This record gives sequence, structure tokens and C-alpha cells, in this order.
Amino acid sequence: MNPQIQKLLGKNGEWLASTGPESAVVVSSRVRLARNLADFPFMTKAGRSQRAELHRLCREQLLSMTSPRPFFYIDMEKTDQVDRQLLVERHLISKQHASGDGSRGVAVSDDEAFSIMVNEEDHIRLQVIRSGLQLRECWREADTLDNALGQHLRYAFSDRFGFLTACPTNLGTGMRVSVMLHLPALKLAGEIEKVFVAAKDMHLAVRGLFGEGTEAIGDFYQISNQTTLGRSEEEILAEFVDVILPRLIAAELSARSVLEQERPLMLDDKIGRAVGLLRNARLLSSEEALFGLSHLRLGVAMGRVANLTMPTINRIFLTTQPGHFQRTLGQSLDGDARKAARASYVRQLMTPSGG
Amino acid sequence: MKCDRCNKPATIHFTEIRDGKSLELHLCGECAAKSGYVQQAHLTMNEMLNEFVKAKAGMSNRDELVCPDCGMKWQEFKDTGLLGCPKDYEVFSDQLRGVIENAQNGATHHTGKTPAATMALEDSVKLRQAELSRLKKDLTQALERESYEVAATLRDQIKALEAALPPSR
Repeated sequence: MNPQIQKLLGKNGEWLASTGPESAVVVSSRVRLARNLADFPFMTKAGRSQRAELHRLCREQLLSMTSPRPFFYIDMEKTDQVDRQLLVERHLISKQHASGDGSRGVAVSDDEAFSIMVNEEDHIRLQVIRSGLQLRECWREADTLDNALGQHLRYAFSDRFGFLTACPTNLGTGMRVSVMLHLPALKLAGEIEKVFVAAKDMHLAVRGLFGEGTEAIGDFYQISNQTTLGRSEEEILAEFVDVILPRLIAAELSARSVLEQERPLMLDDKIGRAVGLLRNARLLSSEEALFGLSHLRLGVAMGRVANLTMPTINRIFLTTQPGHFQRTLGQSLDGDARKAARASYVRQLMTPSGG
Repeated sequence: MKCDRCNKPATIHFTEIRDGKSLELHLCGECAAKSGYVQQAHLTMNEMLNEFVKAKAGMSNRDELVCPDCGMKWQEFKDTGLLGCPKDYEVFSDQLRGVIENAQNGATHHTGKTPAATMALEDSVKLRQAELSRLKKDLTQALERESYEVAATLRDQIKALEAALPPSR
């Protein structure tokens, strides 16, 4: 195991701190920028040696840039499968970056507030992630990092199209703004479809927990902008922060108070069952754990669960993911043995004295 | 990622929990629709692009265009949705116009950040930083010489310059 990845294991990481604004509904905020170097083909047409050269060049510039916080660099080819999975679960790299091949890597800040993938779909994918609703803070830091890198790397850019990207869907700003929302009350109230329809109307993408190509597990939804061209970074941000998110947060909170007033039994039943599941299950899959944690999080956010805090829930949330769990356990178990170990681990964290 | 059933790119991803076991499925839109996992497969980016290109039939001559820099053919883009190099945006500009407008909700021009601006900003910061360190060196020397009047002037200049610089990161 990579010693630097091992250091991450003991912590929750910046985005799971649950200390940011609006964290009852907004789990985390993220701003991602896509950049390519002008003098190289995009990844699809980069041969082995060009890939290696790109990686060397970007890595060198990354390591010498002025960074707002300390960071380290991981060579993906020298990283084993479990460590890659762990990085995906911590949202530091994409699934694609984990499962891809060829020369590639990622720079990760010690506090996991930023990560910069090299040789993913684009040469550089820079992301800044924060707990709660902090999109403008994410953008400020992403902008600073981008400037620091752009000082020595010549980016592919055209006056008309902006930053040139491998896929035209990222063209222009190359900026993808996303928030991870926890919308259990809208789901329980049967209103979640309305959110999807509204999101589509506003040209937003709705995805699952781990981004592109993953489904929504446990009422966690990632909402992001679909268009990157024609509006400035500030305009894209302003729409999110001033228009879209206040509406979504208000909708979820009002769904929560309606449940509280009109269907308190049903609400407490859901929360109670989640507590029961996590405290008493003897065989627990990671998906089941997530479903339980979703309602538990709702209960804690609404003050209907005693003796449990958001950081504990986040801790369970992260450490029951397959890669983390395998590392926490220190061995690889299969099938029921793994589920049994997970159940006993969660039970331990859920007991008031241990959690 | 390829579809589990055929070789097309997988666009729909499931984790199915059956008898307490989780099963990951990666399917293309067609196979997902065939298996009844989705009622009506949403058009993927690629399919959308294909549809668009088909709609503008009679482009066979354009289809033979090859980028002199990276060797990319238009057909390859239609298959993967990814371009080969920055120059492709010029080489295939005619074909891409509609694709971009479609994907970007009608937008055609960038209005955000430019790297030139950031370079210029960084350069001016660097220049000012160099100037600052020169002034500081002069100040030390002036103090050593006990030329306090010169030192006072230098100190004011340093203050003004430090105020003009963005806060250090």
C-alpha cells in the first residue's frame, strides 16, 4: 500500500467534514477544470511515448508550482487496485482514472481539498472540493491553482472556443461545477422526479454518488452544469449558488418539515429502521449500509437521533466502502465473511460509547 | 468502459442487489433497453452526435477529412465522441459547429477566463515581486550606509508595492 494513501485512511477528508454551510442538505461542493497542453495531441491520439512525456511534463510543473497547501503525487501505474479504489471512494480520482491504463497520475493535497489528475480524458483535470455549500471558495482556489499551473504550461486555447477539450461537452471554461445533495425527504415524499425534471429544464445533469455512470445510492445526488461554453465561470457559479441551490435546499427542507408535521410516525419509522439495521445487522453489504446511513443522516440532521453525530455517520459512510473496508480490515475477505466483518465494524461504531 | 453484452461503450451502469448479493452491470443504451432495465434508452452523447450527423446526410466528402496533425477522421469522432488534438477544432469546424451548439445549448463563443490574461497577471506579479526584492535589498544597503532619508523613501515605495500585490498564497 502506498504510504501516502495510508495517511489518508485515518481521516475523513475535507469534503466529508460536514462543517460547511447548508451541510444538512449539501454534502459537498466541487469545481473541476479541464485543461490540455497546446503542443500535444489529446489522450485518444497520444502514443505511449507522448503520454509518458505529457505525464513527465505535467508532473514536473505540478511539483514546482506555488500551491496554497501541501500536496503529494501518486503515479497510478505504481498504485495497486485497492488503493485506486480507495482514491475513487474519497472522490480524489474518477472511476475512469482508476481503471484506465498507461502513464498517468494524480496530485492530492494533504487535506484532500484538491486533486489534479494527469492524463485522464484531458491532460489535466483539476478539482477543488469542500464540505457543504462552498462553490465560490472552490472556484477561487481552482482559479489560483489553474493560474499557478498555466504559468509554465501552454494550454490549448482558442479565442472563439476557449479552453479546448477532448470532448466538446467540456469546451470553453472547461468548468464543471457540482454539488452532492442529500435529498431523502424529497424521495420519501415522492417528489424526487420533479427535481430531475426541473434539473433537465435548467440544463443540469443529475448523477449518483460517484459521478458519471453511477446511480444514486442512498438518496445522494450529484448535480452539475451541462454546458461549459458561452457563459463565464462567474455566471455559471452565480446560477448555481444564487438560483438553483437555494431552490433545491428549500424544497428538501420544506419536505422535511412536512414529514415532521404530517407523517412523524413514518419518518421515525424510517429512521428507527435504519438505526436498527446498522446496530443489529449481522451481514451487511456496502449498499445496504449506504441506504441505512441515508436515513440515519436525515435523522441526525433533524435532531431525531440521539448519541450520534454527523462525523460518525460520515466515518461509517466512507469506511464501509469496499476499498476502504478492505484496507481497514487489513485483509481481503469474500462474500459473507466480508459482510459479517462489515456488520460487526458498523455495530461497533454505532454503539454510543464507541461512536 | 465497454458494454457487458456487446462491444459498444457502456453508458448505463447498475448495481443490482439480488439475494443480498450485489451485481454490477455496465450496458450500452440498446442492450439496457433490450433487457428491460430502462424503458426507453436515453440518447447518449455519441448517439446524439450520430443522430445529428445522420440528419445532416450528404456529408460523405467531409467524412473523408483527416487531421494533418493527429490523423483523426470524422468517423472516429462519431464513434467515440472524443477529438484527437486541438487542431481538430479547426479541421472539423464545419461538422463540429452543430455538435457544439447542440451540446452547449446553442452557445458558440467562449466568454470566460483566458490563459493570456492569467499569464499577463502572473507576469506582472512576478515583475512586481522582482522589483520588491530589489527595493528591499536597496533598503538594507541604505540602512547599512545610515542614509535614512533614502531608506524612508524606499520604505514607502515598498509599502505601496506590497499593497498592490495580491495577498501571498
